[in-house]
Amino acid sequence: MADERLELPQGTLDLLILKALALESLHGWALSERLQQVSREALQVQQGSLYPALHRLERRGWIKANWAISENNRSAKYYKLTRQGEKQLEVEAAAWRKLAAAVGHLLDMA
Amino acid sequence: MLNDLLYRMRALFRRNVVETELNEEIRFHFDREVEKYKKQGMTDEEARRSARLAFGGDEQVKEDCREARGTGLIDTGVQDLRYAQRQLWSNPSFAVVIILTMALSIGANSAIFSVISSVLIKSLPYPEPEKIVRVFLTSNIYPKFPLNPFDFRDYRTHSKSFDSLAAFSRGDMQLSGGSTEPVRLHGFRITSGFFRVLGLHPQLGREFDVKVETPGNGLQVILSDRVWRSQFGAAPDIVGRKITLNAQPFTVVGVMPAGTEHPGNEYRSLAYGEDVDLWWPFTFEGDPTRRGAHYIEGIGRLKDGVTAEQAQSELSAIMTQIARDLGQGKSDWQVMVIPLYREVVGSSQRMLLVLLGAVGIVLLIACANAANLLLARAATRQREIAVRLALGASRSRLVRQLLTESLLIALAGGALGLGMAAGGVKALVSLLPADFPRAHEIHVSAPVFAFTFLVSAATGILFGLIPAIQASRIDPRQGLHEGGRTSTGTGRLSRLRNALVVSEVSLACVLLIGAGLMLRSLLNLIHLDPGFREEHVLTASVSLPGAEYKTEAVVGRFYDTLTTNLASIPGVEAAGAGSDLPWTGYDDNTSLNIEGKQAPPHDEFHARYHVATPDYFRALGIPLLRGRFFTAGDKPGTQRVVIINHAMAQKYWPGEDVVGKRVTWDDHPKETDWFRIVGVVGDVKDKPSSADTEPAFWWADLQQPFTSTDMSLVVRSTADPQTLAEAVRNEVRRLDPALAVADVAWMDEIVYGSVATPRFAFVLVGMFAGLAILLAAIGTYGVISYSVSQRTPEFGLRMALGAQRLDVIRLVLAQAAGLVLTGTVLGLLLALTLARVLKNLIYEVSPADPLTFGAVGLMVIAIAVLACYIPARKATKADPMIALRAE
Repeated sequence: MADERLELPQGTLDLLILKALALESLHGWALSERLQQVSREALQVQQGSLYPALHRLERRGWIKANWAISENNRSAKYYKLTRQGEKQLEVEAAAWRKLAAAVGHLLDMA
Repeated sequence: MLNDLLYRMRALFRRNVVETELNEEIRFHFDREVEKYKKQGMTDEEARRSARLAFGGDEQVKEDCREARGTGLIDTGVQDLRYAQRQLWSNPSFAVVIILTMALSIGANSAIFSVISSVLIKSLPYPEPEKIVRVFLTSNIYPKFPLNPFDFRDYRTHSKSFDSLAAFSRGDMQLSGGSTEPVRLHGFRITSGFFRVLGLHPQLGREFDVKVETPGNGLQVILSDRVWRSQFGAAPDIVGRKITLNAQPFTVVGVMPAGTEHPGNEYRSLAYGEDVDLWWPFTFEGDPTRRGAHYIEGIGRLKDGVTAEQAQSELSAIMTQIARDLGQGKSDWQVMVIPLYREVVGSSQRMLLVLLGAVGIVLLIACANAANLLLARAATRQREIAVRLALGASRSRLVRQLLTESLLIALAGGALGLGMAAGGVKALVSLLPADFPRAHEIHVSAPVFAFTFLVSAATGILFGLIPAIQASRIDPRQGLHEGGRTSTGTGRLSRLRNALVVSEVSLACVLLIGAGLMLRSLLNLIHLDPGFREEHVLTASVSLPGAEYKTEAVVGRFYDTLTTNLASIPGVEAAGAGSDLPWTGYDDNTSLNIEGKQAPPHDEFHARYHVATPDYFRALGIPLLRGRFFTAGDKPGTQRVVIINHAMAQKYWPGEDVVGKRVTWDDHPKETDWFRIVGVVGDVKDKPSSADTEPAFWWADLQQPFTSTDMSLVVRSTADPQTLAEAVRNEVRRLDPALAVADVAWMDEIVYGSVATPRFAFVLVGMFAGLAILLAAIGTYGVISYSVSQRTPEFGLRMALGAQRLDVIRLVLAQAAGLVLTGTVLGLLLALTLARVLKNLIYEVSPADPLTFGAVGLMVIAIAVLACYIPARKATKADPMIALRAE
């Protein structure tokens, strides 16, 4: 099954994280599960690369972290989208759609 | 962006908290992943394995997170620093040796740089000092000559190049009156624009007005801050007060602030900066059309945008115009305008740069030693490094870490060295010759701190780079297998170390040769026959105020009586007075007419003139070559006589018997205007560092043709110095209690001080050379010692097979000799090319002097072989049994 998953193109991990966190605040592991779920196991997200990405986004100020008690009674680090993050999500999503449309257009040309 | 910054700051300053959080976060994820797999039915072990496979290595993820944080460089930097510190701590003897070596070398560099920074780099203490220039006359005979006052006044009136142009000449004054003893003060006569040229203003009162330059407009004086405080208790009402100088009343019109630096002067010089006590006006006297006498020095401040060359051309044009106006032909003199900076520091520039080069070489040798030590230590750390490489550390990270270590060593050495430099600078300044420019301004300052830091950092990188790169080239497999023993790594490693030792030895050779050349030069100077005998000669100077000693007869009688009285002091062999002492910068010249000879066109007969009492020559130990000294019979009314020196006799009467010949200063002399030569004395060298003597002659004191009020006393005596000095003072006081006796010194001290500069240079270069050869010997010892310890099994084997101890020693020495000989040969060749730099600093020694080169070569080889003595002996102690068992 792992071989059938698509590799993520560069930079799209950030987009996916922002989108996932836009819906609700999650901790790292939940985010990892959610990403796998939502992509119906079609995307290959290296779990190890998730955390550096989260820290980078936190540094940029697009997500904010705080520690809270998780569902299994352990303290965990939850991330949520900031206002700047929302704006960034819109910008990146728009860019992605534009890119996808353009590439698709190119491919459709016989 | 603010977020970014805040985040990074938190990551930096609360690193522990951030690290702990990261750990927790990662562990949380991992544990949940394990739980997930367990829920799917795996065993604990299988679950952990799957989770690990899915997640990856903890450390790797944490590293990536740390990188993402953006504090990577500083993070790793701090980590490296801590690691380096631990390494040094665990091996204290190594750390001490290497840090001490660096401290000594960097400290020496900082000390020399302190001198250079204060003397050469720091600007002179005047506003916009680059605009200040000195004005001289120059000709073929006299390269630097003072100006004529009326010429100067014409320059000042007509020149447009200067913001202000002034002239000054030495004029010491005797301060008397009041409760204290009369005291001689250093003073200068100045024209009205003098302080404006320097850019300085009085703290009290005002500068001189132009009016005072005309004689008869009042006697005024400006005091220095020091005299105001020491002689007048910093009285606030000093301006307007009358004080007695040279037995005349002078009105104080101003006081200069503390730190008013004298710009130095050529003629009867007062060294730059040495405090001047007072200034009084220069007056233009005599016939303005007579431009023959030259005795004032020019200094000016250029206008914005005017260069020294432009000013020089302008002044030359003015000079030509003056000659035309006065109906005189073209003069042999030319005007010279030189920036003040060059005048002040020019002569010492080369020596200081040579010193910097020498001390830089010492630093290079120290670096080579440090690199060698690090290479040796790297060999023992191969296992540890191999393990780290195998675990995935990047080579560049490793190099960075090792470099951090060497930087730490170098910076620690630099800090310690700076402390040493502070003390060293004080010692240096005390060794400096008295006339060394700007000596009083030398201290450790901010530029020196910056220099030390930069040099330390550069040094750390320099000696750390090679060992670091070398260490990172280790093949992990090799290192791990061998268990610490180096095999193929040795080839490159030992070649590097050998190369370093060879370079150390060659550099040390260069320095030793430099020191050797300077030593020979110094000895040459010391053994130069000065032309007089300086042992047991006390000197002092007396100045008679013109207001009280008005005629030549009065002045002559004073000194005649004084010297007769001095001769009667018990223990005195001879006592005399003369217008000057050797080697004190005296250079008063005049032209003269010789009976029966015509001077060639555009030239004239000229010689230095002096006045002396009869016993002056005997007191100084100047030999009489022909004729006689002056006697009491040479007095006013009798035949006027002169004594000339050998140089003058040779120059103007070559091959002739000179006693009885006549000279005069009149162009149309009467019978009484002729002076008869009665004696020829031996030459006194003009300068300590040359064999030249200018033609010179002496007038008899009682027959002085002008009032020679300032004379130097010369007393040859074996009496106790203290009592003699006191006795001399008493005799002067007896004749005139208002006179001050100044500049009391022993002639042999003056002579000793005259070679102070070459001695200073030699002492320093000698010390550096000593340090250099010591470091090179240590380096050689280290390499040979290490090689012996590596070869001990081999030696043991050889001895087991029948080799004698002597054979083993010979093997060790052969290895050492190879290194040392190569280094020495290279060093000698290098020295041949570099020694040219010393040419102007050494006297009568060729830069390729074979004696020095040969001696140094042998010495270096001997020292290096000595350094191998211990390792060689250790080699012979190799136990054959142990060696055989090890194999």
